[in-house]
Amino acid sequence: MRIVLLNGSPKRKESASRTLLEELKYYLFEKKGLSEAETGEVGLHQAAVSGEALAGLGDAEAWVFAFPLYVDGIPGHLLSCLAQLEEACSTSRKVHIYGIVNCGFYEGIQAEPALELLQNWCEKTGCIWSGGLGVGGGGGLGQIPSGKKGQGPLGPVDLALEALADRILQGEKQENRYVSVALPRFLYKNAAQWGWRQMIKRNGGRKRDLGTRPK
Amino acid sequence: MKLIITDTDISHIRIQGSHRIIRPQGEIHPCTGCFGCWVKTPGRCVIQDGYEDTGIWMGKCTELILISQCCYGGPSPFVKTVQDRAISYMHPDFVLRRGEMHHKRRYENVIRLSAYYYGQNITEREKETAQKLLSANADNYDAQAAGVYFYRTPEEMEDIVL
Repeated sequence: MRIVLLNGSPKRKESASRTLLEELKYYLFEKKGLSEAETGEVGLHQAAVSGEALAGLGDAEAWVFAFPLYVDGIPGHLLSCLAQLEEACSTSRKVHIYGIVNCGFYEGIQAEPALELLQNWCEKTGCIWSGGLGVGGGGGLGQIPSGKKGQGPLGPVDLALEALADRILQGEKQENRYVSVALPRFLYKNAAQWGWRQMIKRNGGRKRDLGTRPK
Repeated sequence: MKLIITDTDISHIRIQGSHRIIRPQGEIHPCTGCFGCWVKTPGRCVIQDGYEDTGIWMGKCTELILISQCCYGGPSPFVKTVQDRAISYMHPDFVLRRGEMHHKRRYENVIRLSAYYYGQNITEREKETAQKLLSANADNYDAQAAGVYFYRTPEEMEDIVL
């Protein structure tokens, strides 16, 4: 079985989408015995799908998209890629599509419209929508130290990714699932807001500048 | 002021009152997720390609009208990219609205939000998604959801008055 992981973050290097795909790979490789030769990785970081990316999709049986939630939906550049991939899908055999959405808000359920958009794309292309995962608290994914798998603040995300890895390898569908990091919401909110203050200070601004209303 | 974001020619549509139209004029650069519009140049996108002030225009409008090809139940890549580039309409801090985390207001204006989608084969599922998306956008903008409308072509919209 060949699986392709598609990173739809505009960020090429460090991103929550990458973190989620790396975790998924851990479960596919370490826990489920998939080999590296059976997986491919494609970066959809810009509005155009490169020839290299198209070639990387090859004859995979499953594509797993991971991307950040932008204004309740799919980022504009990735929408553009999906439109280009319509053609590639129409000429290939049926592929199982899975989606992982990283949501900066605490509630993973806010990713629901984005997963529906991906499901509708499958309907247009003839691909097989096989379910997705909305991950709330995505802003913390790269910040929270990863402890023992399945435990601690990232525990719910780990468990959901392990279950998704299982479904992917079985070629089965899963109902959309929504999880959040295991931190109290107030703590996640306060940590994020503290982060904004540190970032604006590093850029030479003051805390109150966060609320500037430019003319 | 009505702010219209569109990917198509809407010169045949009547628009009452003051308005501003954002449409494709030169290439639009996608949002890079840098958050510069919150922590470097608060309120304005750092990418200077002519679309950096959308968040500011949103802060001045009473209505936000999306006129777009329907792509899987949402706006087209151009219209969505304009929206992505305008998250600075909101403040980066968070508040709880209806039990969910959303961004705090930067401005005081309450936007009336509507979407006019065109496309030859818009499915019922896509229509449902479009309704859900508008409602979610309204929650996040702390705006009022006005309505979602569907047409087969932009020309079919000639009888509407915005």
